[in-house]
Amino acid sequence: MFQRLRESKSARGTLLALPTTAWLFVLLIIPLILTLIVSFGQRSPDGNVIYTFTLNNYIRLFGYSTDCPVGQASCFEPLYLNILWRSLSLAFNTTWVVVIMAYPLAYFIARAHPKKRSLYLFMVLIPLWTNFVIRVYAWMMLLRKEGAINAIIGWLMHLLNIPFVPFEMLYTPGAVLVGMVYEFLPFMILPIYTSLEKIDNSLYEAAADLGANSLKTFLRVTLPLSMPGMVAGTILVFIPVMGTFIVSDILGGRQVILVGNLIQRQFLDARDPTFGSAVSLILMVMTLIVTYFYTRKFGFGEEIVSA
Amino acid sequence: MYKNRIFILLQFFVIAILMLAACSGDGDVVATVVTADTEVSRLTSTGYTCPEPEFPTTVTSTELNLFVWTEYIPAEMIECFELVYGVKVNRSEYSSNEEMYDRLSAGGSNYDLTQPTDYVIARMTRQDLLQEFDHAKLPALKNFDPRYLDFEFDPGNKYSIPYLAGTDAIVVNTGAVENIPQSWADLWKREYAGRMVFPDDSRSVIGLTLLTLGYDVNTTDPLQLAEAREKLYELVPNIRLFDSDSPQTALLAGAVDLGMMWTGEAYLARQANSDIQYIFPTEGVILWQDNWSMLKDAPHPDAAYAWLNYINQPNIFWMVLRDFPYINPNTAAFNFARNNQTKVVGVNGKETTLATLYVAYMASPITSISSAVIKNGHRIVDVGESTRLYDDVWEAVKNR
Repeated sequence: MFQRLRESKSARGTLLALPTTAWLFVLLIIPLILTLIVSFGQRSPDGNVIYTFTLNNYIRLFGYSTDCPVGQASCFEPLYLNILWRSLSLAFNTTWVVVIMAYPLAYFIARAHPKKRSLYLFMVLIPLWTNFVIRVYAWMMLLRKEGAINAIIGWLMHLLNIPFVPFEMLYTPGAVLVGMVYEFLPFMILPIYTSLEKIDNSLYEAAADLGANSLKTFLRVTLPLSMPGMVAGTILVFIPVMGTFIVSDILGGRQVILVGNLIQRQFLDARDPTFGSAVSLILMVMTLIVTYFYTRKFGFGEEIVSA
Repeated sequence: MYKNRIFILLQFFVIAILMLAACSGDGDVVATVVTADTEVSRLTSTGYTCPEPEFPTTVTSTELNLFVWTEYIPAEMIECFELVYGVKVNRSEYSSNEEMYDRLSAGGSNYDLTQPTDYVIARMTRQDLLQEFDHAKLPALKNFDPRYLDFEFDPGNKYSIPYLAGTDAIVVNTGAVENIPQSWADLWKREYAGRMVFPDDSRSVIGLTLLTLGYDVNTTDPLQLAEAREKLYELVPNIRLFDSDSPQTALLAGAVDLGMMWTGEAYLARQANSDIQYIFPTEGVILWQDNWSMLKDAPHPDAAYAWLNYINQPNIFWMVLRDFPYINPNTAAFNFARNNQTKVVGVNGKETTLATLYVAYMASPITSISSAVIKNGHRIVDVGESTRLYDDVWEAVKNR
């Protein structure tokens, strides 16, 4: 029997994939099904789930409240749609800022002397040694009214004799954007670097031979060949930003509410797991749609595997 | 290219191993010193001699599992209990009642004792999470001021005994604010726009709004709550930050100038900056109390009773006066500390006496509050079915 198993390629493949499949089934598929079931439920006053079938949670998410102020039959309040929109645009903004910041750096590292490259990459990775939350707290110290950034600008202004009122930077949407960009920058640098590094030097020589200037070489050789890295990086940045809640909690002062915060609040403070499940599923569907159209246009980005 | 990656990985490993080696080396040395020390005496790490239990009980359990608020139990209290009873105390922490309730209602938690705030106890008993106390096994109950027993949230203290109490009131940095607010209603003034901090707590913030409208903090009338919601929308532009973990940080850093705070937090803020004042608003403060409750499926009830009796004896409970400046319901601990010249190590590491701690507590208007303030205060109770209405108001306000 073992002999046959060893010979049959497909059986071997199945066996090898079995642990992963089981893992995915237990920790992904079953929880997803549970989430789906709970999202159609109703909450009890104490926050337990009553299993029924109601679409109320989804209706509420799309702004139609079931209990309106007296005298109105139905009322529309785009409370949660605004939150979804805010998260989507923040994820979009974070991604393009990260691309603009990561590309030159990745380019610099890829074109550096091979001996220096590992040192530079090492430096990109160093911040990841420290816990995520602690690094966000560090930004709090930098951004606050009496923080380092205001202190330095204030000192410079003082030297130039210009009156200076410290900027209010902490607890604003801008602070959340800064935190997100900082947090996810390495995840863009690495895949772009990998695809840039793979470009054969002879391609540049060929471009030069054929009379292309440096701008043309960049546009027609470097940029197209580094696209897979950018696509992979975009996926690695966009999706986590949509779901992160720590950054907005700390740097937004719990005033900048994103989808992640909304979901987290439902399971803790608001004690409404049914609504939380509905929002989680909508977030997943939204992310899937965006990723689907994006990858159909640009491909999946093979660098995601090597990154 | 692959060589590079392997090189990076190697660097990671080498440094990680070096750091680990350094840490574990230190740890070993410290551990041996401590055990050698404790074999001979019952001294804590600051040199306090742990007293004998006033009400000794036999404990067969070797462990006690506590599920408690973050930073809310003196380390020496645990040390002494472990030394005297030979029971290992395992402590898990939470930072909101909701977090605690959520974890416990999921079941299979294995905890013995937890510290619910007043209004949560009713919800926990309704969900059958708590175990009734046998008062015959709790002789330390006699140490408490009767004013902190037998509340509406748990008549006869069947499911809870007091730990520490406190208030929610207005905190203000008088160095930065010109017109000091005297009432909750004053917080709506436009001059405070973007300058306030509030706890991320639905019941207390909605509660103070109800008070400004002249309603009860525990109203279940949907119309009154709808009115409170509209009123809260007007407060939002004044709020810079919601923080239930450490609101004093933003206040001391100058990010906010006033807001709502609780006893212990305000006390610490005032210690760091004497310009900070704690003001009891004219509509009345919000009163609360944290308690000890035993869980239904507590695996070590004998150790739990021993713990509750031991920590509430006066020569242990004084530690709370030093470490956690809240309102102290344990009268016996007060009487023990008054005029007691025993030298102990203070919170800043300097030597002090119990009498000094007592005087500091009594002198502070934040901890030592008059009975008029208590009489004028409001207590949040569980509203059962109407909890949903409060949650909805809070969601609407927070997400706006």
